[in-house]
Amino acid sequence: MSETILGIGDYGAARHPGGVVKTFALGSCVAAILLDPRTNAVGMVHVALPDSSINEAKARQRPGYFADLGLVLLIQEMAKLGSPANGRGLVVKLVGGASIMDHNNTFNIGKRNVLALKKHLWAYGLGPLAEDVGGNHSRTVSVFVDTGKVIVNCPGRGQWEV
Amino acid sequence: MSKVVDREAVRQAIEKLPLFSSSALQLLQVIADPDHELEDVVKIVKFDSALTMRVLKAVNSPVYGLVKEVTSIDRALSYLGERMVISIAVQENTGQLFSKPLEGYQSRQGDLWRHDLFSAIASREVARYAKGDFDLDLAFTGGLLHDIGKSIFASFWKEASQDALGQIEQGIVSDYLMAEQDLAGLDHTEVGYEMARHWQLPESLQAVILHHHHPAEAIECMQPLVYAVHVGDIVSMMAGCDTGSDSLKYHLDPGYEEFFNLSPTNLAEIVLNAEEEFSKAETSLKS
Repeated sequence: MSETILGIGDYGAARHPGGVVKTFALGSCVAAILLDPRTNAVGMVHVALPDSSINEAKARQRPGYFADLGLVLLIQEMAKLGSPANGRGLVVKLVGGASIMDHNNTFNIGKRNVLALKKHLWAYGLGPLAEDVGGNHSRTVSVFVDTGKVIVNCPGRGQWEV
Repeated sequence: MSKVVDREAVRQAIEKLPLFSSSALQLLQVIADPDHELEDVVKIVKFDSALTMRVLKAVNSPVYGLVKEVTSIDRALSYLGERMVISIAVQENTGQLFSKPLEGYQSRQGDLWRHDLFSAIASREVARYAKGDFDLDLAFTGGLLHDIGKSIFASFWKEASQDALGQIEQGIVSDYLMAEQDLAGLDHTEVGYEMARHWQLPESLQAVILHHHHPAEAIECMQPLVYAVHVGDIVSMMAGCDTGSDSLKYHLDPGYEEFFNLSPTNLAEIVLNAEEEFSKAETSLKS
């Protein structure tokens, strides 16, 4: 088994047998996960903020940090592994986007991340087949090439499949 | 509900903690004085050779990309800022406290240090948006120490913690701090406060440690500082730099609005800047 570990703002894809793409402790960040049933390729981007226009320099350095740029790059990464460049036929899952208790609109970054990703997915004609988003718990998520399974772990709550 | 944590055992564990070195304590006292100057910090560091070496090692870390080696403490301090010196001094004086896994919270080795360092940087970033004057480096220091109580409390909390999340989900208690109180009879902020008193930390830092989840309970003159750390702590958890099972299981106190101008855009900038500085600080402190 070889693991591709993604940090905040990273994106990556794998299709080799035994491959796993994983990211830790999403907090209010969201993992957009793409699965290609035809090639078995899997990919993920760890998005921290909804919109790159807030900071152009950071957008150039770490485009995966932002929902608008990260999703485009992930689809390009999947295309390098044989998936359609227009994203058609890819299965989408979303994980993360948690928030603190009693948050107000200012602190609702998790929800804004989820909405931004959905908006940009629609531009490709895509939408999430499954999602595990919101709530008040931080999630670690792993995606397995061999099975296409998306497994979420959370300290104190165990693990489950999305 | 039986209170399973023996307060006397916790008190004894705190009593056994080594005291801070005189230079580290002086540094924390100087930082807590709003009228201090950088020169005051330089003087303290110069008389502590071990601290001087660590500071020079940090400033010459490849992450800062300096072309010429820095060999004087004055230059190192003006480049790194007081906050990095405080980080080094606290790290040196707390030994394994920050780095060991927090059993009761199911966190990994080093998570407490990472959470507190991120919170420190985020608290400082929050303080930039203060409506009045603010000592940014004091906000950093408060963030760095706010959760120190977990380092002692975690091992006592291990057994009682099993029911904490269930209690919150069933609405028996409203947040993780109340779960600690309900199941253990004390919480990590109380333990941290006793540690701060044992170390004779300045009162402003004691207030941060005790009240960071309920900043309105701090005395009025301390509230801006405590609110900065309250928000910095939350930003750290939102960014995934947490201490395990208690992550995001606390309330946001909207009273911060009295002291800081935080819009969604400002908060996004805080997250961005904190994450960028955290990456550099973490790397240079490891070197």
